[in-house]
Amino acid sequence: MIIIGERINGMFKDIGGAIKDRDPAPVQEWARKQEYNGAHYLDINVGPSSAEPVEAMKWLVEVTQEVSDLPLCLDSTKYDAIEAGLKLCKQPAMINSVPAEMPKMERVFAMAAEHGAEVICLAMNEEGIPKDADIRVGLAAELVATADAFGITPDMLYIDPLVLPCNVAQDHGPEVMRTLREIKVISDPAPKTTVGLSNISQGTKNRELINRTFAVMAMANGLDSAIADACDDELMAAVASARIILDMDIYCDSYVDVFKQRNR
Amino acid sequence: MGLTGLEIYKHLPKTNCKECGSPTCLAFAMALASGKAELSACPYVTDEAKEALDSAAAPPIKKVTVGTGDHVVELGEETELFRHDKRFFHPTGVAVLISDTEDSAAKAEAFNDLEFDRVGMHYVTDMVAVKCDSGDAGKFKATVEAVAGKTEKAMVLMAEDPAVIEGALEVVADRKPLIHAATGDNYEKMTELAKNKGCPLVVKGSDLHNTAELVEKVVALGYKELVLDSGARETSQVLADLTQFRRLAVRKKFRPFGYPAIALTTKEDPREEVIQAGVYLSKYADVVVLKACEKQQLLPLLSWRQNLYTDPQKPIAVEAGLYEVGEAGEESPVYVTTNFSLTYFIVEGEVESSRIPSRILSVDTGGISVLTAYADNKFSAETIAEAIKKAGLEDKVKHRKLVLPGHVAVLKGTLEEESGWEVMVGPREASGITKYAKENFG
Amino acid sequence: MAVEIQKEKYRSKVGEVVLGATKDQGGTRSHTITVGGESALPFLHFEGEIPNRPVVALEVWDMVPDWNPCFEQYFGDVYNDPAAWAKKCVDEYGADLIQVRLKSADPDLNDTSPEDCAATVKKILEAVSVPVIVIGCGKAEKDNTLYTPIAEAAAGENLVMGVGELENYKAVTSACMANNHVVIAQSPIDINICKQLNILITEMSPAMSTRIIIDPTVAALGYGIEYSYSIMERARNGALQGDKMLGMPMYGNAGFESWRVKEANILTEEQPEWGEQEERGILWEATTAMAYLQSGIDILVMRHPEALKVIKGNIDDLMKDNSY
Repeated sequence: MIIIGERINGMFKDIGGAIKDRDPAPVQEWARKQEYNGAHYLDINVGPSSAEPVEAMKWLVEVTQEVSDLPLCLDSTKYDAIEAGLKLCKQPAMINSVPAEMPKMERVFAMAAEHGAEVICLAMNEEGIPKDADIRVGLAAELVATADAFGITPDMLYIDPLVLPCNVAQDHGPEVMRTLREIKVISDPAPKTTVGLSNISQGTKNRELINRTFAVMAMANGLDSAIADACDDELMAAVASARIILDMDIYCDSYVDVFKQRNR
Repeated sequence: MGLTGLEIYKHLPKTNCKECGSPTCLAFAMALASGKAELSACPYVTDEAKEALDSAAAPPIKKVTVGTGDHVVELGEETELFRHDKRFFHPTGVAVLISDTEDSAAKAEAFNDLEFDRVGMHYVTDMVAVKCDSGDAGKFKATVEAVAGKTEKAMVLMAEDPAVIEGALEVVADRKPLIHAATGDNYEKMTELAKNKGCPLVVKGSDLHNTAELVEKVVALGYKELVLDSGARETSQVLADLTQFRRLAVRKKFRPFGYPAIALTTKEDPREEVIQAGVYLSKYADVVVLKACEKQQLLPLLSWRQNLYTDPQKPIAVEAGLYEVGEAGEESPVYVTTNFSLTYFIVEGEVESSRIPSRILSVDTGGISVLTAYADNKFSAETIAEAIKKAGLEDKVKHRKLVLPGHVAVLKGTLEEESGWEVMVGPREASGITKYAKENFG
Repeated sequence: MAVEIQKEKYRSKVGEVVLGATKDQGGTRSHTITVGGESALPFLHFEGEIPNRPVVALEVWDMVPDWNPCFEQYFGDVYNDPAAWAKKCVDEYGADLIQVRLKSADPDLNDTSPEDCAATVKKILEAVSVPVIVIGCGKAEKDNTLYTPIAEAAAGENLVMGVGELENYKAVTSACMANNHVVIAQSPIDINICKQLNILITEMSPAMSTRIIIDPTVAALGYGIEYSYSIMERARNGALQGDKMLGMPMYGNAGFESWRVKEANILTEEQPEWGEQEERGILWEATTAMAYLQSGIDILVMRHPEALKVIKGNIDDLMKDNSY
């Protein structure tokens, strides 16, 4: 499973402060740490309250790239900020994210095609997040068909079925699992899938246990990637084990280390 | 995997009329892809969409049969690129080539001799190919008739002149030979011949693209009992083309390549030819045609075929029973092991390299190894004692000593009680047998 | 009709390993051999690079071998002289490299001393200019005493030395690390152990990651070849998909294994229904080697000069470009 390290996000106090003060140290420390622990992409989010999202995004991209060669996942609802970041990325990046809504899809897929970027697509539209898996899959198909019209192949897309906290929307869990499975019949090659892992445990006890349980269950249903805490050792060990059980990696006694050390 | 939602969507009217009950054509396509709807719910569906959906339900590679009766050779129906992903199903048909310009009677005699018994299995060279090199329809027909008189095995008729094939079919059409080949120049006539007689037909193109084109033309004439030949003859290109046939059929369900494939060797030196045939057999040929016809040339090739087509999920067993290694006599030592083939073969190899004539008693453990069988109670004092009786070991040797695998030394006492034989504890690993044999029996 | 050619998109490729060292590099070889580097499945030039052709070694023993009598006519005159034997393999039979098996070191045979073994290796290095593989007698305890003296005597030559196994890899790895040789990591037809052993060797020294050759243990045709074949196919697929700990070149003793079995050896008179013995043996060995070429082997060690010849011809054919 592809791990998109979630930690460079202005929502966290240290990163928020770093953006404000233009202090690269905390950002670069988290970039290194996540890479060391096996993240495959680094999520870059200026945070909800940034007053100058475009400039903040540009700065974050630059300081992160100074210490890490990992591809970046530019995370914002402000597409101008994403576009400014894309221009600075040294290698093909990921756009996070676009819903199945028309003017937004046009804007995002056009810039993805121009920059060769992958796109996280949200299985929701103007009406919100559907509960029913069929509707989620229908929205995913719309996203895939629309991207196709922009010349973006389905394997460049990561469909996020959208996860709600398990203490408030327990009935969404089985629907998300079914969505993950059925997304694979949309096209060949199939689009990839992703989730914001920690959403599942917002406001619960035992957050880490819920996160990693959800991760391995979702993997068994075909999940390809997750935006997650790469420094959660238990999570990474669970993911490594799930990869062995699903025959995605060849077993050896040191399989957990092998998974974590991929980047080193 | 069947068609994907997007593929189905392309065949739908895209009017979003909602008459099928789905809000959009795309949603309907997704429902079809995941098996939750029937295509008939769409009142505007085209014949093309129906055809596309039907063919998606068909297996990726069609089964084609050559020959009749006990000598039918089944080709195709393969679903994998790697045997470890599941298994390969229908072993490659190995065809020996007889030219109508050589002494065909002698070669047909030699061909009949190309059957082998090895490790309890019987290997058969299952096809004979007759090729028209003379250009003479009469001569070819006579040769085909003569060969058909010598063997009942499945045949391949090789000529590109439809008149030549037509003549030969007069005498062997009821044997359902494989016709090689329909080409860009002759396909209409060849297809008609094959179709009328119900014989499978090789479609031979000039390259991959041309082969696909030609297959579509033959299919358009209403015939589907086909075998593919890309026309390539250089080893490396044949390997690439056979790989493309298999990948496109299995991964992409590309219909023009959804048939078995044939490969022809070109090497004149028989050793080189066997190795060239081996490459094609390894990588996806359903029929291989070669000239070599000596026993020592076919045995290695047929052994490789047997090995390659075993089911990796199934433990492979040798026939349980008593095996002799060398000129075993009344005093020769007896080793006991299981009938898991890998275990048996390794033990046999080691016993053989000890150069001391011996017997190996292979106990029926359902094809599992010593320790697993021991844990499962299938390699126990009882089963071994029973195997001794069943094999009639008491009549074969004067002594009453058995060598037991070192890993199950714990069985010694009970086995001695149960069987009345003295049990010697052998080495734990087979690799120690040679030394053990020299020390104890040398 | 344009067919859409199917090419796999791989994330990685097999690592390259250099065998031997020239004068400039501190050795005495006339040339080095690079193996590995594939970014495609075997001989599928249309989907990636196959920068180095598989190479074929002939085996030389340091004592008169107990081989089938049919080998007399090729090697009988040099059985007593490993250096002359090695030279004949290269000059007359076209071996790309030599593998010397220090069989006589076996305590149950001549129990040859480490110093004498090292001297034999030195003589072979003087007699031939191709890269050399050195393996022990097969008894781990004794072999562990051989590696360092040989590695030191041949320092700078970039030998290939083996074998290291899961329970016994440190002695040979240390000898290779200290003197810059390449190690053979052998696993018993078991892909999990294969991977673990590569990890353990790399942990001893990260620099060893480009100095490991995988020996997955190759069974002979008819004797479990399909197990080895599938393990090699899985390992190679794993390597191409980014599993670095399976991404080393692969090696196998096709000759040694083939000539242990009945089908290669049994005399024509004893088993006439299997055909002529020597020809059968040659093809048993060559067919075994052919199968391993198709599953990704990079270094084949052969025994019969005629089997070597036919296999080299097969490699020539398979190395021809087949891109579309």
